[in-house]
Parts: sequence; structure tokens; C-alpha cells
Amino acid sequence: MNFASNLSDALWRRPRLTLALMLAPPLLWLGIIYLGSLFALLAQSFFSIDEFSGLIRYEWTLKTYGELLRPANLDIILRTVSMAAAVTLASALIAFPIAYYAARYARGKWKALFYLGVMLPLWSSYLVKVYAWKLILAKEGILTWLFAKLHLTWLLDAWLALPLIGGNSLSVSYTGTFLVFVYVWLPYMILPTQAALERVPGSMLEASADLGGSPAQTFRHVLLPLALPGIIAGSIFTFSLTLGDYIIPQIIGSSRLFIGQAVYAHQGTAGNIPLAAAFTVVPIVIMGFYLWMAKRKGAFDAL
Amino acid sequence: MRTAVAFSNVSRHFGAVRAVDGVDLEIAEGEFFAMLGPSGSGKTTCLRLIAGFEQPTSGHIEIFGETAEGVPPYRRSVNTVFQDYALFPHLSVADNVAYGPMIRGVAKAERLKAAEEALALVRLPGFGHRRPSQLSGGQRQRVALARALINKPKVLLLDEPLGALDLKLREHMQDELKVLQRTLGITFVFVTHDQGEALSMADRVAVFNHGRIVQIGSPEDIYQRPRTRFVADFVGSSNILPPDYTKAFGGGANWASLRPEAMRIVATEGAAMTGKITGLRYLGAGTRVTVETGVVPPTDERGAPLHEMAPLLVVQVPAGQPVPAEGELVGLVCAPADLHAMAER
Repeated sequence: MNFASNLSDALWRRPRLTLALMLAPPLLWLGIIYLGSLFALLAQSFFSIDEFSGLIRYEWTLKTYGELLRPANLDIILRTVSMAAAVTLASALIAFPIAYYAARYARGKWKALFYLGVMLPLWSSYLVKVYAWKLILAKEGILTWLFAKLHLTWLLDAWLALPLIGGNSLSVSYTGTFLVFVYVWLPYMILPTQAALERVPGSMLEASADLGGSPAQTFRHVLLPLALPGIIAGSIFTFSLTLGDYIIPQIIGSSRLFIGQAVYAHQGTAGNIPLAAAFTVVPIVIMGFYLWMAKRKGAFDAL
Repeated sequence: MRTAVAFSNVSRHFGAVRAVDGVDLEIAEGEFFAMLGPSGSGKTTCLRLIAGFEQPTSGHIEIFGETAEGVPPYRRSVNTVFQDYALFPHLSVADNVAYGPMIRGVAKAERLKAAEEALALVRLPGFGHRRPSQLSGGQRQRVALARALINKPKVLLLDEPLGALDLKLREHMQDELKVLQRTLGITFVFVTHDQGEALSMADRVAVFNHGRIVQIGSPEDIYQRPRTRFVADFVGSSNILPPDYTKAFGGGANWASLRPEAMRIVATEGAAMTGKITGLRYLGAGTRVTVETGVVPPTDERGAPLHEMAPLLVVQVPAGQPVPAEGELVGLVCAPADLHAMAER
């Protein structure tokens, strides 16, 4: 009997110890590195910054949260949440027909092609995709050229002339930010929606038709309620990813800040770590509430 | 009597597969009609053609005199009880049953009252607030039935509705369905692969094979006078005689079916057929005797056996008559009139 077989025998006799040894490293990692840093961040938000010296005062206070609720900062929060909501809604609308096709009709080769088509953009660099979109959306870009070729320049101009969502060109407007967000997060909406639709038996839809339900009624009363957990699961991704992103609005969009950019600015140049921390708490709270709602709707059964 | 459903030369092909191949059939109003056949014989596709889930490749379908081709399922006065019941998991039992009226825009209070009545009809009163997942298989089946019947369909289609139930429950539901059909007077079209179920419940049975109807008739017709070997074999319990056996029993040179009750056991001398008894099964009303005829296999002129495996014949000896012992050599006779000639295929 050598040492290794003695050890494996000893572990075999103590399955609980084996499990503990196996789980300890990942749990320590999760506990210290992940949750630890999160709590450190949370703690930072209850400190404040001395306005004259610019140094952090390590005293418990809600002063930073008071600062967070200033109109300018509330604007940033509102802007980010509205964008996240719009991106989520648009992703759901675009994803549904694609997911429906994949779940109901695609078989064999076509199904493989579907997965490839959905996953392929995820395999290329995020930054490359965003810069590629900057070129597409720029004033001298492909889209402007395409609109000109189709004699639709007037339409593009009319759109860009709209208040709020318009701008000098698509690449510096909220419309551009929105389009790129939808493009980048769409796969995260398609896959869970498809998984949910896959689990709806065909006989369920036939039963609805059999009982007099037109296709629209079947969609509303049977298909949508049964797919909803999957759509909510997808929306958790699109919503939270949009809430936290600071690169896309930095590269494409107007100069007005999103939460991610505000965090970046405050912890960097401004050196206001407590306010940056308070800003990061916002998406955490929003997502906490969102996840709680989603759990009640049974969204996690579809993951 | 009006015709509820009429098929004329209906085919449904899926690529090269002829699921339904030139079917003609007429189902009368108020009839309990069974479609019987092995899996893949086209019976379920025929049901789906009536429901409107499939469209015929060729041929013509009429439901109560109206052309059915091109009419979507939601415009047909036909309802289906699905094999997997297809109850909506996100709705309560009451909302499941009230789904049809809800679609038609019936007010909530009224449709829930109708649902409660339908549930009472299938003997599940007070189950409305439950979820389908909280019900047993038999209860789900009743809910599916109530959900279809609440719409007062002109034709009710049942796709193997009893297949998922255990034996005792199945027998019970057979009786209940039969009573329900008689009381409501609705045309029932019932798909099954269980010949016992088809014969005991239906007014008429269509036997399907390879997308065609092989025989259509009353249960008695199908059982007593199978038209082909396939029907006799599928419906079972009749002896199937090859042509030379039929001849030996005094019939023509053709395949024939012969019921176990129609044969008598006699002494070997002068009997039409001889064999050894290999099995006895006491049934109360009589004894089923299995006779292995291969002991003296029929031979051709040169003395070569005609069959590799001589058929086992089943004879029913009525109660009160002497039953021979196992292993005994016996003779068999029957009245030639009891030989029912049939086609080989």
C-alpha cells in the first residue's frame, strides 16, 4: 500500500471531508475575491469625500447617497435605466421570431446553423464589434451611404432631427447606442427564449387551435405565457448588461453619461471613490429587485 | 341519418411516405366510430385530417356537408381529446375547461359556471381550482374530455385517450365514455391500437393498415368475418387457417378464419385434422385448448411437409363437456359453414 492509495481509501471512507476539500477552493475564491470585493465596495459608499482636500473621510455617513440623489446624477440613472429597458424590449421583440423558428421548425443542419449564427458574434472581441459599428453608423459610414443609394436620406435626416434620440449622426446619437446594445446582447435573449419555446409541446398549440383559438389568440393565451419565463431569463441578461456597460456609450453615443461611465469617471479622474461606489449600488439594487420579480415568475426554471 | 364526416379518396403524403393512401369512409351522425390499426397505419393522420391539423394531399373531406379542406382547426365545430391531454400547465383546471368559451368571449362568471357543469359531467366536481399538475392521469383525461365537451362539438375526436391509463382505470373509462356518448348523442371518432377497446366500445370499426382501410364494419363483422389475414391476425383470437388446412376442414383452397368455439374435439380416426394438446386454459365459461397440429404435418403428394411451422389451433370446449388431458393426441372437426374465407392480404 503506497501513500496515494492509502489517501484515496481514507477519503472514500469520509465522503463529507472529500466534498469539503473539493468545494473549499472555489468557495474561498467566491467568498473572498468576489463577495469580499463587493462588500468592500458597498462599505466605500458609506464613506464620504472631503470637498477641500479631496481625501476620503472614513466615517459612516449617508452623505454620499445624498449626493447621488442630485438631479444631475438622477438623470444619469434614469437615462441608463430607460436605455436598458428599451434595449430589453427590442431584444425580446427581435429574439422571439428567431427563437420560435429555431424551436419549432429548424431541424438538423438548419438547427446547427442557427446556433452558429447566434453564437458566432459572441466569439469575436467585444471592442472590435463596437468599433465596427462605429464605422457602420458614422456620418461617412455604410449606413449613410446605403440610405443615399436607396434615396432615403430624407428619412435618416428626419430621424436624426428628432429631439433626444437624434443627433449629428447615428454614431453620436442615442439611436446608435441603442442599436449597438441590441446587437451585442441579442444572443443572450435568443437562447433562453428558444429553450423555453422548445419545451412547449406542439399539442399545446394544436389544443388551443382546436378549442377555437386563432393564431393571435393562441399566441396571447398559450404561447406567450409559456415562453415568458424564458423571455424574463433573457431580459435579466440584456437588462443587467446594459445597466453596467460603460464602453458602448463611451464609443457610440452622445457625451451624456451612463451609470458605468459615471462610475469610471468618479473612481478615476475625479477620485471620488465613495460616489463611484454609490453609483454601482444602483444597478445592484435594481437587479436585486428585478431578480426577485423574475423568480416569482419562474424565470429560473428556464435557465 | 345525416353524414357527420365523409372522406372520398383522401390521401396525405409526407414526402415519400403515404401516411393516408386513398381512404373512403362515411361516419354517421351520433355514431361511435373507432379507427383501429397498428402504429403508423394512418389512423391518427385521419383523425388529424378531421381536426384540421393536417390538410389532405388529395381527395375531399366533408364535415356535416361542408368542405373541410382549407378550413383551419379553429373554424371547425370539432374538438379533440389529445393523447397527451395537452392541458395548459399555466391555467387552473377551471380555466382549462373554460378555454373554448373564453376564446368565444363568454363572460367570466358564465364560462366558469359552464366549466363547473362540464367538470360535473365527467365526475370531477370541485376540482376547478387545482392545477393540471396536481391531478392523476385519469383525472387529467377527464379534464381534457370536459374541455372538449364544453364547446358542444358536432364531432368529438379521441386520440388514444385511454392509452396512458392503467388497465383497471381504462376499463372503467371505456364504460364511462360509452355512456357519455349515448347521453350526449355526439358523434365520437376514436383512434386506438387496442382491438379489445375498439370492439367493445364502437358501433363501427375501421381497420387500418399501411394508410388504407382494410375492413370497415360492425365489431361483430370484424371479429367474426375478418376480410383479410391481416384483420384476423390483428383483431386476434380467431384461428387463421392456411389454404390446405381450410381444405382439410372441408372448405375451399383459401385462407380462412375459424373461431375457437366452432371447433370440436373428436377421436383421431376420421377427423379433419389431428394434433397434440400442448396447453389448457380454464376460463370459467369453458376451457381453451391449444392443439399443436404439426405432429402430423400436412404433406404434399411427394410427402414433403407443406409448412415449416404448422399453426397452433385454439379450441374452446364449453363448460360441462369432457376436457382431454395435456399431451393427448386428438382429432378436430368443424362445420364447413363456420369457415370464413378471407383474402391473404
